[in-house]
Amino acid sequence: MTEGVHLFGIRHHGPGSARSLARALAKLKPDIVLIEGPPDANDLIELAKHAEIEPPVALLVYALDSPRSAVLYPFATYSPEWQAIQYALKTKTPVRFIDLPQAHRLAKDATPTSETAEGATEAQSDSIPEAESSFANDPLQPLAIAAGYSDTERWWNDLVEARSGDDNDVFAAVHEMMTVARETLSSDSNSDASPDSSSTNNVSAINQVADTLVERQREAFMRKCIRDAQGETFTNIAVVCGAFHTPALVDLSTHKADQAILKSLPKTKTGAAWVPWSYERLSYYSGYGAGIESPVWYELLWHRSVALGAEWLTRAARLLREEDIPISSAHVIEACRLAESLASLRARPVPGLVEYNDAALAVMVNGDALNMQLIARRWHFGDRLGKIPESFPASPLQQNLAAEQKRLRIPAKAEDKTYDLDLRENNDRERSHLLRRLRILDVEWGTPAATTASQRGTFHEVWQLRWQPEFVIALVAGSRLGHTIAQAATSAIVEQAVNAKSLRQLVELLENGLFADLPDAIQPLVLAIENQSATAADITQLLDALPPLVNVKRYGNVRNTDVELVDEILQGLVPRMLIALPGAATGLDDEATHALWEQLKSAQQSLSVLGDEAYLNDWHTTLGKLADNESLAALLAGYATRVLYDAHKIDQENLRTRLSLALSVGNDPLRASAWIEGFLAGSGTLLVHDETLRRALDEWLSSVSDDHFTQALPLLRRTFAHFPFPERRQIGQQIGRRNQPVAAKATQTLDFDAEAAATMTNLLLTIWQAPSSSPASNDKESSQ
Amino acid sequence: MKTTAPMNNSLREPAETQFAEELAAIAAIDDRQKPPNWKLSPWAVVTYLLGGKLSNGVTITPKYVGQKRLMEIAVATLATDRALLLLGLPGTAKSWVSEHLAAAISGDSTLLVQGTAGTGEESIRYSWNYALLLANGPSRQALVASPVMRAMELGTISRLEELTRVPADVQDTLITILSEKTLPIPELSVETRAQKGFNMIATANNRDRGVNEMSSALKRRFNTVILPTPETLDEEVSIVQMRVASLGRALELPGEQPALAEIRRVVTVFRELRDGKTLDGKAKLKSPSGTLSPAEAISVMSSGIALASHFGNGTLSANDVASGLVGAVIKDPTQDVVVWREYLETVVKERDGWKDLYRACRELL
Repeated sequence: MTEGVHLFGIRHHGPGSARSLARALAKLKPDIVLIEGPPDANDLIELAKHAEIEPPVALLVYALDSPRSAVLYPFATYSPEWQAIQYALKTKTPVRFIDLPQAHRLAKDATPTSETAEGATEAQSDSIPEAESSFANDPLQPLAIAAGYSDTERWWNDLVEARSGDDNDVFAAVHEMMTVARETLSSDSNSDASPDSSSTNNVSAINQVADTLVERQREAFMRKCIRDAQGETFTNIAVVCGAFHTPALVDLSTHKADQAILKSLPKTKTGAAWVPWSYERLSYYSGYGAGIESPVWYELLWHRSVALGAEWLTRAARLLREEDIPISSAHVIEACRLAESLASLRARPVPGLVEYNDAALAVMVNGDALNMQLIARRWHFGDRLGKIPESFPASPLQQNLAAEQKRLRIPAKAEDKTYDLDLRENNDRERSHLLRRLRILDVEWGTPAATTASQRGTFHEVWQLRWQPEFVIALVAGSRLGHTIAQAATSAIVEQAVNAKSLRQLVELLENGLFADLPDAIQPLVLAIENQSATAADITQLLDALPPLVNVKRYGNVRNTDVELVDEILQGLVPRMLIALPGAATGLDDEATHALWEQLKSAQQSLSVLGDEAYLNDWHTTLGKLADNESLAALLAGYATRVLYDAHKIDQENLRTRLSLALSVGNDPLRASAWIEGFLAGSGTLLVHDETLRRALDEWLSSVSDDHFTQALPLLRRTFAHFPFPERRQIGQQIGRRNQPVAAKATQTLDFDAEAAATMTNLLLTIWQAPSSSPASNDKESSQ
Repeated sequence: MKTTAPMNNSLREPAETQFAEELAAIAAIDDRQKPPNWKLSPWAVVTYLLGGKLSNGVTITPKYVGQKRLMEIAVATLATDRALLLLGLPGTAKSWVSEHLAAAISGDSTLLVQGTAGTGEESIRYSWNYALLLANGPSRQALVASPVMRAMELGTISRLEELTRVPADVQDTLITILSEKTLPIPELSVETRAQKGFNMIATANNRDRGVNEMSSALKRRFNTVILPTPETLDEEVSIVQMRVASLGRALELPGEQPALAEIRRVVTVFRELRDGKTLDGKAKLKSPSGTLSPAEAISVMSSGIALASHFGNGTLSANDVASGLVGAVIKDPTQDVVVWREYLETVVKERDGWKDLYRACRELL
């Protein structure tokens, strides 16, 4: 090892490493501390001594020109890097990050070769940088497993605790181990590298090559930094880096070769910031490679070294009790005992996480892993969220959000919380605006939840809130759009409007914009909608756009949104729709007819909700054209007739004429039944109350020939099957009541086959009654 | 329990006799700490169950093929004087594991109570020799100890099969035995105290209808290990192969050992029907009403061998396997026939090299 350079190979997020490192540094008293981390954030290290900073936190490094490609370096209290930073800041020792700057690495990702483009951007947008090879991620793990440990941390702990002497010896030993391990494993570490960083074999092969190149560049840069430090006459240099890298940092005489590797690297401008992090995210892949399995367990390891298991299992017991699984202290005691005997069976001096988990499974939940999954998240991850003092530099959007959160008293929490907002209240309404604006910026902090019965009423809005640390990336990315949340959301909507393909999308954007109270976004949207509806050839687009627009208009007032603009749009949209409708409704196949029918139904509902006389008049005129159009699908004609009848646009007499026309014998029975389906529109109430109609229908059905009846039956059955049961019963009863005396009279006066009539009646009853599941009610009917 | 027939003639030897050599070989090198009254150390018991090569060159055959974790939990449980409950579907080697655990730990796997709906308290505690009872009154001589009581006196492992079939009130008799480790005999005003080394392994079927749910007080006395069905095809094939070979030896079946290919075919049929889809995941299948456990695959294979050797030419053919296979799949004469027929026509018929099996099965329907 070069004189004056002390290498400390650590395990990222390893409490054991952290404890040893803290002691070793205190003993060594280095005059500079070099840490594996992004030099882009060197200026921010100083801030970590702030009294109010509370891990877990992360350093966010992002490319200024494309903030979506960002890398996060998370730190927990028990991260060795964090301890090294804290030591250096406390003793006023200079401290620097020495990893290859993200300025180079992000630049490379930003200008990828055509083939890797997809894989690279995908990985970046998930904020997962290229993973190191699995071996490099946790180089100690194979060694721990070879030593018979399942838990690297416990192995490390045992290794350190057992050697109660000089902690430096441990690091020397680790260094030696890694040197040997790297020599022997270097070939296969590449072959099993990062299977998760890409989807296709092709890309993964390329990534592997890039991976090793990146590794070489990183180590070259680290060596360069160490040489620089030596050049600045530091003589007692502590280098803290992943244990995997220490062997590469011994020989510093590689000046020329390093220069060659680092020459002409691409470069981009980066920004960096401290951001709060959560334990849950700590368990994911990140800038320091693999995440950790159980952050809470590690925290426990860091804070105490005795009676670990008792506390760990008691936590599980308490969580299980919250899930209504009765766990007594006796269970905890037995689980501890089992863990210990498991450990001794596995020849381990102390039980590790695996033993405790196995014991909890066998003792507490009867071996059923499902029950354990109930509490797994809270048991292993907890809901701890780090804190960053407000005075820290942050992107304008973050600052704005923090201010808004404070103003509206709606703090960011890592656990689920439900808010029931009353939109009549100013504060609640602004909260709703904030949440909606954030959603426009892809920060899904709040998700709309279903309202319960007690929360009915248009002024209620229920939100499910849960803060995820990586929202910060979206906020940083959003900074290019504006300096406040409102501004950024406005620009985002306008941007999306330019790219929107359909009218419906535009209308939804308008809805978002109005409900999020972004007045500046509305004018461009209205313009875009008007343009789009003018050119839209497809009437379905127009019909689709109507309900959300009406919705906006109707509920807008509760939210104090300006709905006059919506009127403008409707004035352009409704006439267009009505003009296009008769043409669009002809020549449709069955499926398209049904789709259009559904749209007409919702349009009818929307227009009647709107209650605008002028629109309704035009609507009815158009429907009148549909009803009269012989070539139109009978379903639509029937429906149009129904709407007109409901609106008293045609009287009873007229209706009867239309009905008998549609049902006349000359008509194809299929067409007639489709007409009936459209006319009844899913409700039989009309038939219950309108004797004339009922009779017309009854007579038609009695008069169709056997063949036609068989053809029409399925359609009719489908129509009637949708009616609620009481309606069907009433119709059946009324027809039964009428038919009996008529049949009796008929036998007297005409040559009438009573038996045939009775069969018919029964058949009719069966049809009205069709899917009835209750035989009792059938009996009742036939007895009448 | 004294065996009444001469040892070498019994149909099936208990594990400790069948594997006496292996147990002796392990004991010879076992220098780890043993819990009181254990014949082997916990490490050695796990080795005996999972198999491996010992330092003295003896190869131990695996008794349980599956996760090592589960066996470690089971053995560690017994070492902590907590009772062990093995749960699983029928045929997932619950009784098998329980027998071998008892054999390895206590050298005696015969202290067994078979749980049934008719199991009474006296089968778990003690009963009386009524002739002596009437002649001399209650005395220690007139008392007939149950296997559980004898295990307590000897400090060995007792076994209780099908715990959940035992009526609930009888089950609760176990609570005192397992928590206080004593068995009071009020008639004699004495109590039997369990010696060190006493413990209980119970087995139960966790997916059976009509079982007696255990009380939570009793549940608390047990650590539970759920034995899963084998994870992979290869694992299951090796289980079946191993057991068929050893059964063939024990039952003195003539004829050669079945080809691996035939075992693989049977296991494939079982797995596909059990999982409700083909192994390549491309086609969905209906599942029959039976459980189709590895144990049933084993019996299909051994009956096939018996058929082949006694009635055939000694080589296992598709015809020999087919009858057993059909019998194992079709448990419900109406539903399962449809399932089986569908499977035959859609999967077996189309598969390369399965024509013989298809024809053999078709003939039987």
